[in-house]
Formats: sequence, structure tokens, C-alpha cells
Amino acid sequence: MQAMGSDTNANDVLMLEDGPLVDADELEATLGWTLKPQGLCRDETCVIVPDPDAIRRGDQLDVLAIADLLDRPAVSDDASGLVAIGVPRDRRRSALHDQQAPEFVLPDLDGMPVALSDHRSKKRLLVAFASW
Amino acid sequence: MIAVAIDEDVDKVRAAADGITYPVLMDADHVVTELYAISNVPTVVMIDEHDKIVHPNWSAFASDTFREITGVDSTAQLDRIRRWVRDGELHMSPEEVKVAVDDLSPDEERARLHFRIATNLRRSGDTTGADRNFALANELAPHDWTIRRASLPLQGKDPFGDNYFALAKEFNAAGRPYHGVTGH
Repeated sequence: MQAMGSDTNANDVLMLEDGPLVDADELEATLGWTLKPQGLCRDETCVIVPDPDAIRRGDQLDVLAIADLLDRPAVSDDASGLVAIGVPRDRRRSALHDQQAPEFVLPDLDGMPVALSDHRSKKRLLVAFASW
Repeated sequence: MIAVAIDEDVDKVRAAADGITYPVLMDADHVVTELYAISNVPTVVMIDEHDKIVHPNWSAFASDTFREITGVDSTAQLDRIRRWVRDGELHMSPEEVKVAVDDLSPDEERARLHFRIATNLRRSGDTTGADRNFALANELAPHDWTIRRASLPLQGKDPFGDNYFALAKEFNAAGRPYHGVTGH
């Protein structure tokens, strides 16, 4: 399962601050994946890159194109340089089609991280609400 | 019970959660609405001992405060929840659960990401950048309350009153699109 912690990485969402282009040697620190001859790889998993030119911009790599290959939504706000990368779509699809509740970690009102899995082996009623 | 506030106003959430003993979590980045395809609140999801979703996003109310607007009777909903907790009684078959919630569209995904950028910029004091991204999010998901209505107070606008009724009118005209199960 996900690593514990209050950082948003536990939820598999990412916010980059310097635009969508990264050097190849920064890719692992940025996305957790490495570009190898056989494709984009993380641990034992590799994703084929059908057109290596499509993910390159000059000497750099385009994380928007790479996110697309990894089946994750991504948008870039050019004026601020922020790039938001969403959760891998299969995590939501596993909720909708296989009824597998996706794990998440969020801070409680005192800022302490709480995970859905902290209450594993119990029935859980997840209530989403808001003040708006 | 695990309550997740799709909200970043911790003071308002704390006031609403006064006296509650179960965990109340803050989801300022709207991660849960992306993971569970949630488009409005309140919504409840029933998750069993084996991490299986046995009742997906369900527009449920713990009281009848909004009954005139929603037409939803909270008593029947609370009964259904109690019967599941006490007796394990399921209201929906696995086949029904599988098709109950539509996946987010690419635009609805992108709306969530622009909303996330907007809240990030707002927190760092870049109001112009925040408004630019709130506007994009609103265009991409015009009938998603977790985008449209949630962005109102973050832009200094009242989420109740005229702004609420204007959104509701658009939502009704669009056929009340909702990711999940409605009614009681």
C-alpha cells in the first residue's frame, strides 16, 4: 500500500513547480519513473514508449506527455510554472468497477495523518462533506 | 465513520465537527473527489471489512434540513445504513454497484487539477493566478459542485444565496448530473 505520511505523495498526486520540462536524470525524483531503453520503468514494471520523440522537448523530457503514457491526467499552468498530475486512472477505475476502495491519507483537524487503511477490518462509512 | 471535508477552511470544519468523536479529515486538494469520482457533497460510501465498496457515492443527508430542496427523506437513508452496520444487509447487488457511478470525464479530471493549482496559488498569495485556474476549472466542469461551489468562498464569494441559486438553475437545466446514487 501507500507510504504513510502527511505529504501528498501518499495519495499519488503531484504538484511540480518549475514547468513540465525536466532533465532525464531528474525524472525519477520527479515522477518515480526512469527512462530506460525498454521504456519507462519503476521497480519491475516498465511501460512501453511507442514514440520516444513524443516525450522529448529538445534535451529535456515532457512530464505532461509522460503522465499521459502512465495513464495519469496532468495540466500545466504556464504563468506560474505549476504542473498538477492526478492519480493514476486505474486507482479510480478499481473503485468504480471492481469496488476496491482506494487508499488515501489525509490530515485530521490537528494535522495528524490518518489513512483509510488505519481502520482496516472494520466496516467504514466514508462521509464527504463541506462548509460551502 | 470517517468524515472527509472537501474543504480547506479548517475553522469552519472544526465548528461543524464540534463534539464528533470519529476522525474528521481535511481534503483541501480534493484528492478523494478524484479517487472516488465525487461531484457533490454530502455523499457517503459504504466500505466493508475487506475494503470492498458495497454502496458507492450516495447523495445522503443526516437530517431533513434540505428536504424541501432535495426531496430526500433522511430517515429511510439512515435506516439503510443502520441495517448494513448491524445486520450486514446490502441494498445494492455487486452488479448494480459496478455501474452506479460514471467515471470522471477527461474535462472533469482536468478541472480537479486546475482547482488544485488554484488553491495552491491562493495559499501562496497569487490571487490572479488562483482566479485564472478557478476559471478554467469552472469552465471544464460547470455542473460539478465540488468545483463550482467550492471555488466561490475561495474567491471571496458567498456560496449561499444568489450564487447558489444561479448554480442550481444551471445544474437543473443540465439534467442534474451526479456521479453516484441519488434518492432514498
